[in-house]
Amino acid sequence: MLVKDYMTKHPLMGQPTMSVVEAQRFMGENKIRHLPIVGKGKRLLGLVTRQTLLVHPAKLGSLNVWEITRFLSNLTVGDVMVKAKDVISVDKNATIEEAARIMVENKIGCLPVLEDGIVIGIITEIDLLAQLMEMMATRLPGVRVTVRMPNVSGELAKLVSAISAQGWGILACGGVPSPHDPAKWDAVVKIRDAPREAVVAALEKVEGQQIVDVREV
Amino acid sequence: MRVDFEQITDMDYRIKTPILKVENLAISYETRKGDVPAVRDVSFEIRRGETHGIVGESGCGKSTVAFSIVNFLGRNGRIVGGSILFQGQELRGRGEEELRRLRGDQIAMVYQDPMSALNPSLRIGDQLSEVLIVHRNLSKKAAYEKCIDMLKRVYMPDPEAVMLRYPHQLSGGQQQRVVIAMALLNNPALLIMDEPTTALDVTVEAAVLDLIDELRREFDTAIMYISHNLGVIARVSDLVGVMYAGEMVERAAVEEVFLNPLHPYTQGLMRCVPKLGLSKESSYLYPIRGRVPSPAELPPGCIFEPRCDYARPQCQQAHPELREVAPGHFARCHFAEEIAAQKWQPPQDLIPDLAALAARKPEVAEPILRLQQVKTYYEQERKSLASLLGLGQARYVKAVDDVSLEVPRGCTLGVVGESGCGKSTLAKTIVGLEPLTDGRVEFMGFDISVPVSKRDLSLIKELQMVFQNPDSTMNPSFSVGYQIGRPLRRFRGVPRHQVRDEVIRLLEAVKLDASYYDRLPRQLSGGEKQRVGIARAFAARPNLVLCDEPVSSLDVSVQAAVLNLLLEIQQKYGTTMLFIAHDLSVVRFFSDFVAVMYLGKICEIGPAEAIYAPPYHPYTEALLSAVPIPDPSADQKRIRLSGTVPSALHPPSGCRFHTRCPRKIGEICEREIPPCQHVTAEHRIYCHIPLEELRRIEPVVTVK
Repeated sequence: MLVKDYMTKHPLMGQPTMSVVEAQRFMGENKIRHLPIVGKGKRLLGLVTRQTLLVHPAKLGSLNVWEITRFLSNLTVGDVMVKAKDVISVDKNATIEEAARIMVENKIGCLPVLEDGIVIGIITEIDLLAQLMEMMATRLPGVRVTVRMPNVSGELAKLVSAISAQGWGILACGGVPSPHDPAKWDAVVKIRDAPREAVVAALEKVEGQQIVDVREV
Repeated sequence: MRVDFEQITDMDYRIKTPILKVENLAISYETRKGDVPAVRDVSFEIRRGETHGIVGESGCGKSTVAFSIVNFLGRNGRIVGGSILFQGQELRGRGEEELRRLRGDQIAMVYQDPMSALNPSLRIGDQLSEVLIVHRNLSKKAAYEKCIDMLKRVYMPDPEAVMLRYPHQLSGGQQQRVVIAMALLNNPALLIMDEPTTALDVTVEAAVLDLIDELRREFDTAIMYISHNLGVIARVSDLVGVMYAGEMVERAAVEEVFLNPLHPYTQGLMRCVPKLGLSKESSYLYPIRGRVPSPAELPPGCIFEPRCDYARPQCQQAHPELREVAPGHFARCHFAEEIAAQKWQPPQDLIPDLAALAARKPEVAEPILRLQQVKTYYEQERKSLASLLGLGQARYVKAVDDVSLEVPRGCTLGVVGESGCGKSTLAKTIVGLEPLTDGRVEFMGFDISVPVSKRDLSLIKELQMVFQNPDSTMNPSFSVGYQIGRPLRRFRGVPRHQVRDEVIRLLEAVKLDASYYDRLPRQLSGGEKQRVGIARAFAARPNLVLCDEPVSSLDVSVQAAVLNLLLEIQQKYGTTMLFIAHDLSVVRFFSDFVAVMYLGKICEIGPAEAIYAPPYHPYTEALLSAVPIPDPSADQKRIRLSGTVPSALHPPSGCRFHTRCPRKIGEICEREIPPCQHVTAEHRIYCHIPLEELRRIEPVVTVK
């Protein structure tokens, strides 16, 4: 699961000479929230997000009505964009969790993917959320069970072997530290082609683990 | 401007803004007679990683649409209406400089002829790295490495050596790979491919098509693929637009268009193409009558009305709009629903011909043509000192090497193989245009191993040829009538005053009327020229006609008409034919017997039906798996031959096919010439693999 496989290739891009009004219209029409600004040869010059398009009120406060119109119509993307040196980007061979970490730590919504300073793609929160969804096999029906287990190795194997002993298939599997108990671990498994009652009956027998949540989705 | 709603498909959550969106595009060319509307009301869109095929006969405006996107319409062409949105931005009505910046290096184009896209005076390496140095300011060294990577991606063998070569030192398939690599170096968002495989051999074509499909997935490039070949379109496209006389008449997903065509033109096209995989009986072709109207003289109503079998009075008056007949399936026809529901019947005037065709059976007649161990070698010029003194050993290009075959009277023998395998040389040897090196050619019991200049006139009369390119075989300064009349006067001694009547009779036999008598070749279309070529070949009432790729340069609907015509005339005169083609599906429809040639040797020969079913020679199997089938539901085995046909100057030892054979069994293939194995009395396979094993091979094509 690397960035290069999940990024959007050939993203819509803008030029620094574009007026801010035009950029706003362009992003609205195409329903995008991030617009990489490129020069010759798709070299990244900056990044425009909806936020950068907001004009600071203090700046407008000093202008009269007529001046505002002129100020806005002369404002280009090049004036307001986040300059390339300040844009946080990611390598195409990074893992998607690495991309997620960068986005979380910097509280940003998108990362342009660069190769020698040239934009080859863009990865956004939506791409990562879509993958979270995919990892949990959201689109396929099955029984989703959350099991709380001790945070020691070998526990997940016990759970998996209990499932495979019944001949069921696992659609998705994930785990996080238990929200309230650091000594425990919550594992989520999604089982294919199995009745809910049978799943509960089978997993209840696993020693030292308890079912926290069961639902058919 | 209309706001596009996000299209979220089942499989992908990403917002798919189309890379290219063409809406109601209209293009006109200014001419002395006024504006000619070449393209009218064309709309389509291509998303990331999608291939949109555009199919139609020549002159339908496919390339004009492509050129309008890259602003390449020439001085007299211009966009008169509609819009072209590329990456969300309008291209129409912008200045030259602005356009260049917008499109920049985001659109790449691959043309039909790779040789004309490459600079013959620059090394491949220089041409490739120039793209990166100019567009991306990369250093020479970095660019070089990137180019090598890209050449590896397009499966170019030995990329370091290729970088140092000049274009002419590469084969056609390799050249096209270089052009594709060059187009992809900039990672374009849109790739326009205009007949990229038309000039290539079937086996090479299959490999290039696989490559295009793989690269599309990897680079997520939107591809606009233009082709006249329905089989190729079926293989590469996700969506297909069918163009006719400058309009898009049907647009839908590829399966829909091929399995459930709604427009009469699309249906007609499907019936024009010979299909592989079906039985021979079902492979009759039904040509579309008439021809594509010139854009200057369009019919007032539906543009297809004059050629349509379903035409009604309403079609003459009202011009149909492209409308959504079924979900996602657009057609430009007033009666699309009714037509789709009806079962098509061949028109009345075709039925008697078809009955005759169905009755055709290859009789077991005595052979009219017999070749015994025929060899045609070309001596290779050598420049060494020894050979100048006459001491060196002569080297030969063995174009035809040890070919033996028989053609029964009244039957058709199809000869197939890749280019450079000696098909045409074989034909030329039989006609006497190339001197025979060794062996014996017998025709009607006479030995005709002598060149044409030494043959008796009555013998020349019996052997006639139809050539691939009618343009180069007709004298442009003589009228059609004169050219057809020449063999009549010379061979049949028709008295001068009767020649005209006789020529008109011949013209009628090839479905042309008397008005063609005084026309010059340049006043005819390609299909008409080929008809004249056929009339000329049959004028002398020959016993044997050799057809060297007579339909490969023609459009599908014309191709069907010419093939049917040849069959009909053969029926009438009982002529024997040798039919050379590279397309296995055409040969099947046409031939009683088929010979498969490789590097001057026959590897399999037998009745047509037997060739298309196991046991196959491994080469026949590979050829069959490379033929593009115009049916997306057909299941075709994927066998790709590596490399190109080896040089005939140094043919491989043993079995000539062993260097590329996917079923090579071991050293024996390299050492010994394969034995002749008889499947039946007439069906022979030259291979080391035992027949039992060849029989177990599964059929290449299975139609569901």
